Amino acid sequence: MDESDLEVVSLPRKLRAPDVPGAFKEIQARREEGPVAVDFGEVEDFDSSALALLSHLRGCAPDVRVINVGEKLGRSFEVFLGGTPPATCAVDEEDLPTRVLHSFSNRFLTQMRRLGKFFVLLGDELYHTASYLRKRRGVYPGEIWNQVFFMGYKSFPITCLLIFLVGVTIALTSAAQLKLYGADIYLADLIGYGMLRELVPLMLGVILAGKVGAAVAAELSTMTVLEEVDALKTMGVVPERFLMVPRLIAITLAVPLLVALADAVGIAGGIIVARMSLAILPSSFLREMFTVVDLGDFFIGLGKSVVFGWAVIVGSGYKGLTVGRSAGEVGRATTESVVLSVSLIILIDCIFALILY
Amino acid sequence: MDIIAVRNLVVGYGALQILRDLNFSIPASEITAVVGTSGCGKSTLLKTLAGLLPPLEGDVFFRAERVDYVSEASLAALYRGIGVLYQDGALLNNLSLFDNVALPVRMQHPDMPETVIREMVHDRLAQVGLLEGAGKFPAELSGGMRKRGALARALVLDPAVVLCDEPSGGLDPITSGHLDDLLLSLRDAFRTTFVVVTHELRSIEKVADRILVLYDGRLHFSGGRAEVMSSDDPYIRTFFLRKVEHDDA
Repeated sequence: MDESDLEVVSLPRKLRAPDVPGAFKEIQARREEGPVAVDFGEVEDFDSSALALLSHLRGCAPDVRVINVGEKLGRSFEVFLGGTPPATCAVDEEDLPTRVLHSFSNRFLTQMRRLGKFFVLLGDELYHTASYLRKRRGVYPGEIWNQVFFMGYKSFPITCLLIFLVGVTIALTSAAQLKLYGADIYLADLIGYGMLRELVPLMLGVILAGKVGAAVAAELSTMTVLEEVDALKTMGVVPERFLMVPRLIAITLAVPLLVALADAVGIAGGIIVARMSLAILPSSFLREMFTVVDLGDFFIGLGKSVVFGWAVIVGSGYKGLTVGRSAGEVGRATTESVVLSVSLIILIDCIFALILY
Repeated sequence: MDIIAVRNLVVGYGALQILRDLNFSIPASEITAVVGTSGCGKSTLLKTLAGLLPPLEGDVFFRAERVDYVSEASLAALYRGIGVLYQDGALLNNLSLFDNVALPVRMQHPDMPETVIREMVHDRLAQVGLLEGAGKFPAELSGGMRKRGALARALVLDPAVVLCDEPSGGLDPITSGHLDDLLLSLRDAFRTTFVVVTHELRSIEKVADRILVLYDGRLHFSGGRAEVMSSDDPYIRTFFLRKVEHDDA
């Protein structure tokens, strides 16, 4: 096709960043009508955005033909972009519904791949933990007790405080309602049953997700970014065993202690409210509570808490070990680990509820 | 004798090929420098040689045995024979320098008596001049000390090959020179093979027995130091003389 047959778009003398969008729009509008020639002959005052536009247009042949590139512009182009191949002139041919469908399907497949990786890690951890318990190898000496100290002792004050406050809050809100029906004493049943079977495990899980899960994800993702995980692999150490097994065993040991303490302080919160607002003696409270609550309820709560603890460690470990390579990924992994852990806890709690009730 | 051989190697992530059709061998007891511009695939190559990144195509042979990247046993055999010095050392931050160096011994030989481990670690730390800092944590060490500590860890089990990712990167010329001397003395004393990815021309001139030049994911040139330095190839001259030579020059 001869140049004289083409629609010519003449670019202005000044072609800097503020002028480029307008010029680009005009070229695109003319292209929809047919092939165009873009005349750079007038361009004298330009910056790198003009060079980028020129580079883009070079890749749009044969729809676009670039003409009259001046010596100054041409020289600058050669110096700064001459070595780079022209960018392909992408034309968005997909309509909106197709793009939305593609976007959804891509996201769905990505989530499925992530889910697959999560279950692979879960399987790995079960295998590595069983293998460690059998052979007692592959874990750094003393690391389990370091983790028990961090997860148990360091989590104990905040856990006790929050569970106590939950006990007080539940007792206060329930007391007002029970008083209306003269059923004051049943506050003991409600607190005892609710705390042991539901509230303590759930709250403890959420506290562990925020405190322990975030710390695990931050630590492991930092190690991944700093190549420490790679270093472990090349030392013949299996990171999934070295890093995760001590944490899984530690949470299994720490959670029962935390549950026992949390049950005690949660019920104590209920006893205090019962004494102060309903004038129920602690001995009467406990006597009534033990008519509906037994050791089985304690063990159900304990079992749930341990499973929630595992969910926190595996969820956070998964986020920490599958992180990218930039520092920004550490923050993202930490946040996502808390969301994942809490989601897992609620999902598992729902499954427990379906099984137990 | 070649300790590592690479045949028709293609490495990448998904559809993106970073290394293409590489064929070369690494002779034992020599220092081989891998050089090239940033992004040409040097660190990717090192990761593949270290067993961390499986190739899309082709094979890596270690001591004439093909490395099977999906076999735990094959990778374990590879890891027993190599040590890796990472760019920033990659020492574990929650362990002291002593415990970092002792880590490979404790993990691979759990029955090793602690007194023997102490001797092994002290020997290695003395070789890299860090005996004084044994009790310190990585955060308390300078960049050069961290690298020397990481080198001690890489060497503690006497690997046949040590892969080094930019050992002089970010170090001052004096510390960098000491590290070069250390590599040379280790090569001479223990016949250790080193594969060193580096940009440092002085370091290359000082330590490299052989040089592999990568360009755009392909092996552009390989040969002895003198051979590379006297090459007429424009890219190699540009790289080593830091001077762009135009065709009409």
